[in-house]
Amino acid sequence: MTIPVLSPPDHELRVTPSDAPPEISIVVLVGERPVPLVELFEEYSAPLRAAKRTFEFVFVAQPHFRKLLAPLQALIDQHESITLLEAGQSVADAALLRMALTTCRGGIIVTLPAYRQVEADAIDALIQRVEQGTDFVVARRWPRRDAIINRLQNRILRIAIEPLAQGRLHDVACSVRAMRREVLTEIPLYGDSMRFLPLVALFNGFSVEELPCRQHQGDMHGRIYGPGVYLRRLIDVLGLFFLLRFTEKPLRFFGLIGSAFALSGGVLLLWLLIERIGGEAIGGRPLLILGVLLFTVGIQAVALGLIGEMIVHFNVSRRQSYRVREVISARRE
Amino acid sequence: MLSVVVPLYNEEENIPQLVTSIQEALVECPQWELVLVDDGSSDDTARVAAGIACTDARVRLVRLARNYGQTKAMQAGFDHARGEVVVTMDGDLQNDPADIPRLLAKLDEGYDLVAGYRLRRQDKLLTRKVPSWIANRLIAWMTGVRIRDNGCSLKAYRRSLISQLHLYSDMHRFLPALAAATAAARIVEIPVQHHARRFGRSKYGLSRVAKILADLMTITMITSFRERPLGLFGTAAAGSVAAGAVVLYLWLRSLALYRVEPEGAYVLPAVVLLLVALAVYLVMLGLVAEVTVRSATQEEQDTMRRPLRGLAS
Repeated sequence: MTIPVLSPPDHELRVTPSDAPPEISIVVLVGERPVPLVELFEEYSAPLRAAKRTFEFVFVAQPHFRKLLAPLQALIDQHESITLLEAGQSVADAALLRMALTTCRGGIIVTLPAYRQVEADAIDALIQRVEQGTDFVVARRWPRRDAIINRLQNRILRIAIEPLAQGRLHDVACSVRAMRREVLTEIPLYGDSMRFLPLVALFNGFSVEELPCRQHQGDMHGRIYGPGVYLRRLIDVLGLFFLLRFTEKPLRFFGLIGSAFALSGGVLLLWLLIERIGGEAIGGRPLLILGVLLFTVGIQAVALGLIGEMIVHFNVSRRQSYRVREVISARRE
Repeated sequence: MLSVVVPLYNEEENIPQLVTSIQEALVECPQWELVLVDDGSSDDTARVAAGIACTDARVRLVRLARNYGQTKAMQAGFDHARGEVVVTMDGDLQNDPADIPRLLAKLDEGYDLVAGYRLRRQDKLLTRKVPSWIANRLIAWMTGVRIRDNGCSLKAYRRSLISQLHLYSDMHRFLPALAAATAAARIVEIPVQHHARRFGRSKYGLSRVAKILADLMTITMITSFRERPLGLFGTAAAGSVAAGAVVLYLWLRSLALYRVEPEGAYVLPAVVLLLVALAVYLVMLGLVAEVTVRSATQEEQDTMRRPLRGLAS
C-alpha cells in the first residue's frame, strides 16, 4: 500500500508562535460541501471563548479547497490561534486527520466537518463530557428534523452496523466528535476508518458516549450522492465487520467461507461417485467441473485464511492488543 | 518471586475464597504476589477484587477496559506479573491452589512449563468431558505436543518462556503447543485436583467447536510449518497436481479406449486445468508466506532475545 504524498511542513501557510499548549484542539477537515471558514470559526469559537477555554483551530484542506483557507489569514494576523494545513494531493479524510495530529497540541481534540452539522453550543457540552472522564463523545443529531431522504440513509447505515454497535451508537455519520488525544494516537487512522471511529474506539476498549445535540438548520436539506459513494459505503461496512471481528482470527472468517464452498463441492463429487459406482459414466458431466471448481475455491479460501493467520502470528508481538483501565494495588508504585 | 495470575470474568462470589486459599497454599513461600485480572466483568468482580487489592499489598488488580476474553486477560496478567516464575489458574475455584507447590517443585527439575491435568474431572460428561477428550487427542495428534489436558488453566511457567509468548485470539487453549513451537520449551505434565463449580456459571458451551477446529488448523500450521510455510503450501500444491495427473490419465485412457461423446469432451480437461490452477495458486500463496516469515524473522533478529537456558547447567 502506498501512502499518498502529503505536502511537507513548509507548505504550512503559517503556524502561530508556540507557547503553552491549549486545552483543546479543534480540527476542521475541509473536504465535502465547505461553508465560508471565517464564519465557521467565529461561530464555533464563540462558545469556547464564553467558557473561557484555551483552544487552537487546525484547518486541514484537500488541495481542491485550498483557496478557502486564504481568508483565515486575516484572523491569524489578529493573533488568533489558527493553523492552516493543506494536503499536496487529494487524500482520504484519515490522512487529513493524521496531518492535523502532527501539529495539534491540545489534550482534548474535537473534530468538525467544514460545514455546520450541529449547533455551535454543542461543542462545549461535548468537551465537558470528555473532561468528566469519557474517552470519546460523539454528537448525535437528535431530535432529528432532517429531510426524509437523509433520515432514511442514516437509518439504513444504522441498521447495517447494528450487529457491531448493539444499540450503543445511533448516528455514526455525524462527524462532530470530542475525544481524548489518546484515542487518535492509539487507533490506526487510515482510509475511511474515520467514519466509523466511534465503533473502532469501542472495540479498542475506549469509553464512547453519544450526546444528543440540536441539528443545524443548514444540515437539513436532502442529499443524494452518486452510486459510487453508496458502493464505497457498503464496502466500508463489510471491511469494518471483518476488521473488528476477525483481525486476530482471519481463518475463522475465511475458513467459514472456504468450508462452505469445499463442502458443497464435496457433496456434488460424492454424488457423482455414487452414480459412477452405480455404473453410469460421469467423465462427460458438467456437474463434475462444478464440483471440482467449488472444492478448489474452498481450498483457496482456507489457504488464504492460513496466510492471514501467519501474518497475525508474526505481527502480534509488536503491539499490546488490550487496554488496561486501571491497576489497583495497596502498595505505592 | 512467584506470581500467581488469575483471569476473572464475573466471578464475584468466588474471589474471597480464591484469595484465602491461595494465601493458605503459599504460607511457606517466602515471596509471592497475586495478579487478578478483571476481564471487563459486568458484575461486582472489580469491586470485590479491588477491596482485597487495597488491603493486601501482595495482591494487585488489573482492570481491562472491556471484555477481551480469557487469552488476552492472561496475556495482561503475564505483562503485569513480576515474578521469575508465573503460575496461572482459573478464578472459579475449580483448580486447587494447594497444588502450586508441587508445580513449582517440578519446574525446579529443569522444565520451562509445568501443565496440570485434571484427575477425576468434576464436569458434565457429554458437553464437557467428551468434547474435551476428543479435542485433546486432536491437538496432540496434529501438533505433536502430547498434552493430556489443554483445558486445565493451572500451569507454571518460567519468566524466560513467558517473555517469548504472545497470546492472541483464543490461543490460551493451545498454549503448550505454542510454547513448544515458538520457544522450544521443555514441557511436563503432573496431575492436579479438580473441584466442581460452586458459584457462578461456566462460560463455555458447545458452540466453540467450529472455532476450535479453525484454531487447531492455525496452531498446526504454526507448530509444523512456522519455519517453512512453503512446505505446507507446496505439499498441498503437489497433491493437487497429482490429482490433476490422475484425471489426465483417465481422460487419455478413455480417449484411447472409447469414442468420447462430443458434448462431454471438455469436462475432464477442464478439471485438470482447475487442479493445476489450484496448485499454481497455492505455490504463490506459499511464497507470500515465506516472505512474511522472512521479514518477521529479520525484525525479530534485530531485537535478538536470549535463549531459554544457557548451555552450562
